[in-house]
Amino acid sequence: MGSQRICASLVFALAISGPVIAVAEPSDEFELSQVAPGNFVHVGSMEERSPKNMGDQGNIGFIVGDTCVAVVDPGGSLAVGKGLRAALRKVTDKPVCYVIFTHMHPDHLFGAAAFRDDDAVVIGHENLPRALAMRARPYLNALARDLGELAAGSDVVVPTLLVKDETVLDLGGRSIRLKAWPAAHTDNDLTILDESTGTLWLGDLLFIDHTPVVDGTITGFLRVLDRLAKLEVRHYVAGHGTSGLQWPEVLEPERAYLDLIVRETRAAIKRRKTIEEATDEVGLSESARWVNFDAFHRRNVTTAYTELEWE
Amino acid sequence: MKPLLKFALATLLACLPLLPALANEKAEPDPGKSQYWPPIRQMMFGDREILDGKDVMRVYLSTRADDAATVPVAVKAQFDQSSAQYIKQVYLIVERNPSPAAGVFQFTPDSGRAQIETRLRFEDFSFVRAIAETNDGKLYMSTRWVKAAGGCSAPGDKNRMPENLVGTMKFRFADETVEANKPALVQLMIRHPNESALASDFDGSKIPQFVRHVAVTYGGKTVMSADVDFSISDNPSFRFYFVPDKEGELQAVVEDTHDKRYVHRALIVEGVPLPGG
Repeated sequence: MGSQRICASLVFALAISGPVIAVAEPSDEFELSQVAPGNFVHVGSMEERSPKNMGDQGNIGFIVGDTCVAVVDPGGSLAVGKGLRAALRKVTDKPVCYVIFTHMHPDHLFGAAAFRDDDAVVIGHENLPRALAMRARPYLNALARDLGELAAGSDVVVPTLLVKDETVLDLGGRSIRLKAWPAAHTDNDLTILDESTGTLWLGDLLFIDHTPVVDGTITGFLRVLDRLAKLEVRHYVAGHGTSGLQWPEVLEPERAYLDLIVRETRAAIKRRKTIEEATDEVGLSESARWVNFDAFHRRNVTTAYTELEWE
Repeated sequence: MKPLLKFALATLLACLPLLPALANEKAEPDPGKSQYWPPIRQMMFGDREILDGKDVMRVYLSTRADDAATVPVAVKAQFDQSSAQYIKQVYLIVERNPSPAAGVFQFTPDSGRAQIETRLRFEDFSFVRAIAETNDGKLYMSTRWVKAAGGCSAPGDKNRMPENLVGTMKFRFADETVEANKPALVQLMIRHPNESALASDFDGSKIPQFVRHVAVTYGGKTVMSADVDFSISDNPSFRFYFVPDKEGELQAVVEDTHDKRYVHRALIVEGVPLPGG
């Protein structure tokens, strides 16, 4: 017994510190829920990226048609992408014909390499290739910083089918409408509407509970939210978090947060406050409402300030 | 091969080598042991002695930056400028940026106080070094460690700027009015993409357009001039002092790498409300 235990701990030690490049295998516990017929979602963690969660942060999933499957965001690492693919295979054996990116952020797209051997067309917003070209290196560096050797195999895949305005795809008995939005959360936000069930996949145009992030333009984000609120939607998938609220009420907490930042930042600028002073005071009343507030809120104010100081 | 082609694994790794991750740098390293600093120091200052800067000027930066593309920094002299004793230049260096010398800022006794506030991009966790050169030719250094990464490649393309806006400027004053002979703090804002050389990787034929030189005069006399680089954030912002008279013109002349020259002027009159809010 004693020697067995020693062996086991030696193996464990090798697994975490050995020279072998470890690629985490998909977990058996990769949970999926069906938010509407044919629309399967895996809800990501709200925790910071770590070897423990392997970047399983964004909400990701897939839509199943009669002839094939569209993946919406393959996840934050190769391991997560593999987990999604394995879970998908338990639901259907239809081929994956499309891998769609809702936007450029690593927690949504680094798992694309898991679908490398599927004969899938990779799709993104028309601005996505440029955004990725400029950010691939820092994104990969940051992944390596957080995951170490476990980052191996995660990769940036460039879309080949680009959406400008709208594109409708047929999955067989189910058409999905892809819409490219003007700059908001990023300058490459894409939504996917499954027309047969009225299910809207929003990517990070919708944050629930997780602090909304502005990596585009805050006034643009608010304008896009106003347009989204007018859409007929029966089911929705946020980029982060889940909620029991109905559409479009579910947009309201995020809209109120962004609107407060805009109003308070404008007021700070009017009072001749500097960018440092503004980041110290704007929007703090929202802190209790959001997860990861300390990690993202001040950055949002910085972005808002640099945008609004030119008004 | 066909699925591969269709999947277009034009992975960017091929053209962008993955740098070794600095996984164990969550804690601040020893500034004296930086491997990045000696060659920069040699190139910029040769064998000149560099003294401790804490009594000459201080550098203010938040250690964990919120946005690596926009990290506010302030370098503040610890004494007022006078013709007997003043800071001539401040070198601002981000050690690990692709072009480490973010800016060299020149001051005169007419600056009132040697102070510069701007916003920096960080490509990786890095020491920031501010080196002041006083009028007697001595060098003084203050150093800060900043945890921010990805800001050079993440460009200011969030809202692509219409061509006709590039080079437009604003002065924003810290106070509503100025008083003659009392140093006044002003922010010069420049609408400019300040493209980094990294951001232009996507289109190799494009020469990055960034601000190279800024010269600010008041009443014809230089109060602050700077040679700058793409380590400065897009829409460059510079905040500094000048000493107004009862009335005078503040003028900024900005030149970029595409040889574009932009000029902005404002008449400053004692007691008359100034833009800033």
